[in-house]
Order: sequence, then structure tokens, then C-alpha cells
Amino acid sequence: MSIIDNLNKTFDSRIRLGIMSILSVNDNADFNTMKELLGLTDGNLASHLRTLENVGYLAATKQFIGRKPNTKYAITELGKTAFKEHLNALEKLIEN
Amino acid sequence: MTKQTEDIKVIREMMEKSSKFQSISGLSLVWAGLFAVAGAAFAYYILHCCSFIEYGKYTFYIKMWILLADALAILALAVGIITFCSWWKAKRNRATLFSKVTLRAAYNLLIPLAAGGAFSLVLLYHSEVTWIASITLIFYGLALINASKYTVGELHILGICEVIIGLLAAIFLYHGIVFWTIGFGALHIVFGIIMQIKYR
Repeated sequence: MSIIDNLNKTFDSRIRLGIMSILSVNDNADFNTMKELLGLTDGNLASHLRTLENVGYLAATKQFIGRKPNTKYAITELGKTAFKEHLNALEKLIEN
Repeated sequence: MTKQTEDIKVIREMMEKSSKFQSISGLSLVWAGLFAVAGAAFAYYILHCCSFIEYGKYTFYIKMWILLADALAILALAVGIITFCSWWKAKRNRATLFSKVTLRAAYNLLIPLAAGGAFSLVLLYHSEVTWIASITLIFYGLALINASKYTVGELHILGICEVIIGLLAAIFLYHGIVFWTIGFGALHIVFGIIMQIKYR
């Protein structure tokens, strides 16, 4: 019971889990790269990114490449800790 | 499979996919190896079967230029087929070839490779051909070891093998062409087959 409580509800969605995985091994990743890796539509990815940004797990920086807007995302310290704790909880759950 | 194990699979897959260049084709390595064997056979023929004696004191330079052209042609063919097959494989897996991951792997491969290439040219400039087989193998091996952090793990082992073959080529200095054939030919064929089976 207590072990399941340690699982982070934010990471219930596999897409959010995927986003956190990508950002935990890369300094940053832009929108299109993640879209391609996860095989998602613009709207779908954007809504999950917004959720993660709202809880403070990732930070976005908007910039322009030529005239095209390009948004880069990076994991925050809070996000790193949350993801790590979630992984530990997953590990414990599987061990049992 | 429980949800948790499925979750972990997704995590691992995304971590690897986003940080490692995975579109390298084993089959193209086999082809590159076969080209290398053909190139080495041609070089052997030039060195041992053609005399070019009619060119007198220019014989050495003519042989050197033919061998250099041979080496560059094989290099171009090998790089060409590996790039083409990787592009093909990336397309089939619906990934893009020229992503940040590919560039990072290529960049890390090219640094030691460029240094080794430049060093070999300097040796050629001094007409010092004996060490070239060893030098190219060692630098190529180090380049693979350096790039392997950003691509499939097999390249790390291949890199170590290349360095060992390069050192052996330095010990048995006058059999450079044999070690070249092993290092650039046989090793690529063997590792290509292993990777083709593993990552198909």
C-alpha cells in the first residue's frame, strides 16, 4: 500500500513518463524532437508538456530559429528528484 | 506483463532512443569490410606484382599515389554505403537521420579520425609509409571508442579490437597490409554480422 503511494500520479501517463525519460538523459530537447521520438501529434504533446511545466518538473525556453518558433524543454531539479523517486518506487514494486 | 514493467520498458526505450544513434546497419558494415578486403587485395597487387620499373626513380611516388587513391576510394565507398544504409534504416524506423544524436555521434567519431588522418598525411609528406597501417588502425579504433558512448555498444568492442590490431601492426611493421585487411576488412565483416543479427 505504502509503496504504491510513492508512485507519482503525474507519471501515470506513459507519454509524460517518456518525456521525463528523454529530458533526464539530455540537457534539453526541442518540441519536434520529442514529437518524433514519442510519435505524437502537436496538440497531444503540448498538453502533456503543459501539465509537466505546471507542476514545475520542466522548464521551457522559447526562441526563434530564423522566423520559426522553437521551444526547448529541460528538466528542473524538482523534476529530477520526482522522476528519481518514481523510478525507485517502480523498482521496489517490481522486486516485491 | 504488469503496468510497471511496461513503464520501465518505455523509460529505457526513450532514454536510449533520445541519446544514442541506433540506425547503424550491420549489413553496411559487412559491405564496408568487403570493400576493404578488395582494396587491400588491389594494394597488394600494386606493391608486389607491378614493378613500374620503367618510371625509374619515380616508381616509389607512383606506387604511393596509387595506394593513396585506392585507400581514399575505399574510404569513400565505405562511408557512402554506411551512410546510405543508415539513412534507409532510419527511414524504415521512421526516425530522422540528421538529428542531434547523429550529429553528436558523428562529431565524436570525427575528432580522433581527423587527427589520425592528418597525422597519416604528414607521414606521407615525409615519405614515411611504414607506420601508416598501424597509425590509421589505432586512430580509427580510438575514434570508435569515443563515438560508442553515443551509439550502439558493439562499436566500443570493435574499437578496442582495432587498437589491438593497430598495435600488432606496429610490432610486425612490414606486414601492414595483412593487419589492414584484418582490421578494416575481417573485423567489420564479423561485427557487421553480429550487429545485423542482434538489431534486425
